[in-house]
Amino acid sequence: MRLLSKTTLNYFIFSGLTFVCGAFLFYHLLHQIFYKQIDENLREEKILIEETINHADTIPDFRSVFGHEILVTIMDKPLPSRMVIRDSVMVDSTRENPVRYRYLNAWNTSEKKKGYSIYIFKSLDETDSVITEIFIAFTFLFLALLVVLILVNYGVSRKVWIPFYKTIEKLREYDFRQQFSLGLSASKIREFSLLNQTLMVMAEKIRQDYLNLKEFNENAAHELQTPLAILKAKLDLLIEGEYLREEELILIRAMYDATLRASKLSQGLLLISKIDNNQFPTGEELDLALLIRQAQEHFQELMLHKEILCTQDLPVTFSYTMNRTLAEILINNLLSNAIKHNIPGGWIRISLNRSALVISNSGHVLSKDPMQLFGRFSKGEKSSESVGLGLSIVQKIASLYGMRCEYTYHEKTHTITIFF
Amino acid sequence: MKILLIEDEPELARSIDSFFSKEHVLCEAVQTFEEAFEKVNLYQYDCIVVDITLPDGSGLDIIRQLKEIRSEAGIIIISAKNSMDDKITGLEIGADDYLTKPFHLPELNARVKSIIRRRQFNGDKIIQFDQIRIVPETGEVSVNHKPLVLTRKEYELLVFFIANNNRLLTKEAIAEHLWGDEMDQADSFDFIYTHIKNLRKKIQDKGGQDFIQTVYGMGYKFSGQ
Repeated sequence: MRLLSKTTLNYFIFSGLTFVCGAFLFYHLLHQIFYKQIDENLREEKILIEETINHADTIPDFRSVFGHEILVTIMDKPLPSRMVIRDSVMVDSTRENPVRYRYLNAWNTSEKKKGYSIYIFKSLDETDSVITEIFIAFTFLFLALLVVLILVNYGVSRKVWIPFYKTIEKLREYDFRQQFSLGLSASKIREFSLLNQTLMVMAEKIRQDYLNLKEFNENAAHELQTPLAILKAKLDLLIEGEYLREEELILIRAMYDATLRASKLSQGLLLISKIDNNQFPTGEELDLALLIRQAQEHFQELMLHKEILCTQDLPVTFSYTMNRTLAEILINNLLSNAIKHNIPGGWIRISLNRSALVISNSGHVLSKDPMQLFGRFSKGEKSSESVGLGLSIVQKIASLYGMRCEYTYHEKTHTITIFF
Repeated sequence: MKILLIEDEPELARSIDSFFSKEHVLCEAVQTFEEAFEKVNLYQYDCIVVDITLPDGSGLDIIRQLKEIRSEAGIIIISAKNSMDDKITGLEIGADDYLTKPFHLPELNARVKSIIRRRQFNGDKIIQFDQIRIVPETGEVSVNHKPLVLTRKEYELLVFFIANNNRLLTKEAIAEHLWGDEMDQADSFDFIYTHIKNLRKKIQDKGGQDFIQTVYGMGYKFSGQ
């Protein structure tokens, strides 16, 4: 859920609740105020009527005085004093709905020692409709206020959070391998400004660390070349010694093997760091189909030797713009990999079309997580002699040109797909 | 035969020098651009082996100077930088070959010999070893004057062996010579064995002797008796 939706929803829920409770209370309050007023009026009228009874001999027509139903009965005997105010419903034959009334009933004895009873009826129709009207009017007002508040809140929040979303967008786009700075602008809001500053410092730190590491890798691989070259040359001289004993030869052999391995490793790492550093000149138009055919020819003898059948489904030409060296390394590594992890009498299938280069080969059951195969120093068990950089280099080259590598395994068939 | 080796790493220079001394090649080694520049202007060499990255200059400039004074020496670049650019530039301005460090010494030896052979305009360009005779320009091989039909790899193998005769060649050096360095597969070694077996058999079929000795665990040695 978006931050804005979340806050707006919360705002909506709580103001809604407040609104419902408030409306309920407001209605009752209104009700009470109006009834109190009615009761007051009833009492005042009663006092007026009582005064009239006490002073006049005849009972006037109260109805014409007050404009509503008043019933006064005078008796000869005195009546005890009492007064009630109640609600009542009267069924009027002329009207469809029963009419709600509030009435006052008072008994008392006048100064002339005559008992009287007064009934004053007041219709509640008008009052009720006034209460309802007021209530509706206020409800509308409140609702309008609520809507306006929510809209304003939404609008303000949206505006306030804009720098935040901008920051997220920048972060998502940021690639510390290419850009120099995260490039976040200062915000007027202190918190966001602080956030941006912190992120900038962090990104710069990551970038510096990355650069240092990259530089170290490159230097290490590069500086290793010379001592390895010397070692290799000295070993080439050493093995020619004529009086070497067999034990010594075994030792030299082991050193020789290890030196060659180290040399391959450092060359592989150097290549990776060169690709990382974009040190290969930009590409030229190449015919990938031709390069694949050449590579296949290059490996033909080895495939024959291992009795591997290689079939291909290539277009006549397939032009693609990339660096020649890298293209050759990519194809050679893929093919070499397919041969290396193959079984005697197996097969390799190469197909190339507009969307992808697919190389599948027969092989052993995979005992590894396929996702790890493109990692550095990751190798299948069978060929522990390889240094395990081949596919990692493939992936580096592919990602340099915006291609995507995918490895799939299905019933002893290994497939590497490079999507263009 | 005289070679000028321009290499700033003294130990590597010493190794190359020591390797060539067995070939009866006079190897002069210099470590700086300045020394090298002086030498190439003063003396004649059959072949110049030059490192591109020198402490006080670029090996490429020495090649340019050699071309300017119309030197006839063969030129081999050795460079730690496996850079396509340097390679192309080097070959464009007149280098004959390019070798990436670290390399096997027999490989350098074979390349130097091949260049010197190609440069001998007056002399014969034929490789003669004992009963074996190779005409590199046409690729013809004969043993005891009987023509020998070899596959391309067998031919390359034989030339490599003869260039490094009496030297121990490891399987790795042979594999790299035949297939380049991306063939770092254990399979390629039994493959070499197959090629060597075939080559040996073909030579012997034509009445040639067995020149190839197997040095157990290490590699092979090609030598006349």
